Amino acid sequence: MTFFNDWVEYFPDLLGGLGVSLQLTLVTLLMGLPAGLVLALGAGSKNRIVRVVSIGVIEVGRGTPALVVLQLFYFGLPSAGMTLTSFVAASLALAFTTAAYTSEIIRGGLQAVPNGEVEAAHALGMGRGDILRFVVIPQGVRIAIPPLMGFAIMVFQATSLAYTIAMPELMSQAYSIGSITFRYLSILTLAGLMYALITIPASSLSNFVEHRLARHR
Amino acid sequence: MHEDAEQDRTAISLESVVKRYGDHTVINDVSLSVREGEVIAIIGPSGAGKSTLLRCINLLEVPDSGRVTVEGNHVDAGIQISHKDLVRLRRNVGMVFQSFNLFPHMTVLRNISLPQERVLGRSRQEADARSMKLLERVGLADKAQQYPSRCSGGQQQRIAIARALALDPHVMLFDEPTSALDPEVGLEVLAVMRELAAEGMTMVVVTHEMQFAKDVSDRVVVMAEGAILEEGDPADVFTAPTMDRTRQFLRAVLER
Repeated sequence: MTFFNDWVEYFPDLLGGLGVSLQLTLVTLLMGLPAGLVLALGAGSKNRIVRVVSIGVIEVGRGTPALVVLQLFYFGLPSAGMTLTSFVAASLALAFTTAAYTSEIIRGGLQAVPNGEVEAAHALGMGRGDILRFVVIPQGVRIAIPPLMGFAIMVFQATSLAYTIAMPELMSQAYSIGSITFRYLSILTLAGLMYALITIPASSLSNFVEHRLARHR
Repeated sequence: MHEDAEQDRTAISLESVVKRYGDHTVINDVSLSVREGEVIAIIGPSGAGKSTLLRCINLLEVPDSGRVTVEGNHVDAGIQISHKDLVRLRRNVGMVFQSFNLFPHMTVLRNISLPQERVLGRSRQEADARSMKLLERVGLADKAQQYPSRCSGGQQQRIAIARALALDPHVMLFDEPTSALDPEVGLEVLAVMRELAAEGMTMVVVTHEMQFAKDVSDRVVVMAEGAILEEGDPADVFTAPTMDRTRQFLRAVLER
């Protein structure tokens, strides 16, 4: 019964941590997804410099583990004269990784828009910007939404990496309670359940959205 | 006198157009001139370059050499074509594709109104009024608020025609507009095209519909292997073709 006693006792602390994790996820996505769209458009640009820079950023972002980026931003940047709070460092680092990965997902979505529609828009005399804005992006992003939602769930889980830079999110709360009380098994089990409490409904939401979006196809 | 002058005005002129994909020459030095109000049917075996030639007219394909003139706007191949020239030339040209290419995420009404708003700068109200008029004309006013996926192929193609006409083109290009349709459904599209031809629209139609080519076109152009084999009055071309290759093709399509 100690399991349940521990859960009841430490649930409020972990709940606070879960709130921080969710905030970090939200801020990461709000910065990372638009940046991912910009990188996706950049990687498909006609301008060679824009294209090369975008692809470079994407490759570095995907090639570097999120944990390394996180530590670099928090522990590395102060040596370069830039000190960030753990929340800012964590959200910037995760947003960078998110942008790199989601740009590929979004690019896939944009490329899935039938070329015939783009040709028809050209034949109608619409400009390149209008074609992106009205034909390609609305459909491409719609195609990309289900995989993006899947990625958002992974970002939520990846926020646990922020425990390494002393951010009071769910994982670090669980870890510090565990290191004080040595009740690692019960506390980490509870933390795991609380992550699952968010991710499992989120997955079924993403399935539901996928079905809804398939309607006009 | 005045009528004659009107009749002789050239709507489209292709001069020595060449188009290559790598080593393969798809269009080999083709010249073609279309008068204002004329209806041209381009026929010929697949791979002859019919669609490519059509797509050179509105520069969806940019020729490697030659000159394209539509309604007095020239574009010379080989030099960088400015966006402005492209838009000016395309403003006079409507195009209808084999696969309709409607925007599936917009209602039928938005499909027709959006290009008017973006290309011609019409207000939403003006554009919608024009769209409804055209939808009525093609018999689909009741579909305005539907999505294209809820319409049959023949309906989608008529909507695509309405979308092109909404921009008041002087010339309409049709790239096998009935090839993706059941023969019966194709008839409703052909009926709209006949009407358009009767109203004096300049039309270039790549088609396998020989009856349409015979009945509606003023001139038939027969293409094979990237070149024009022969052209002339449909009655002459269909009954007394001069080239063996034409005879062979017509036998294949007419006697099946």
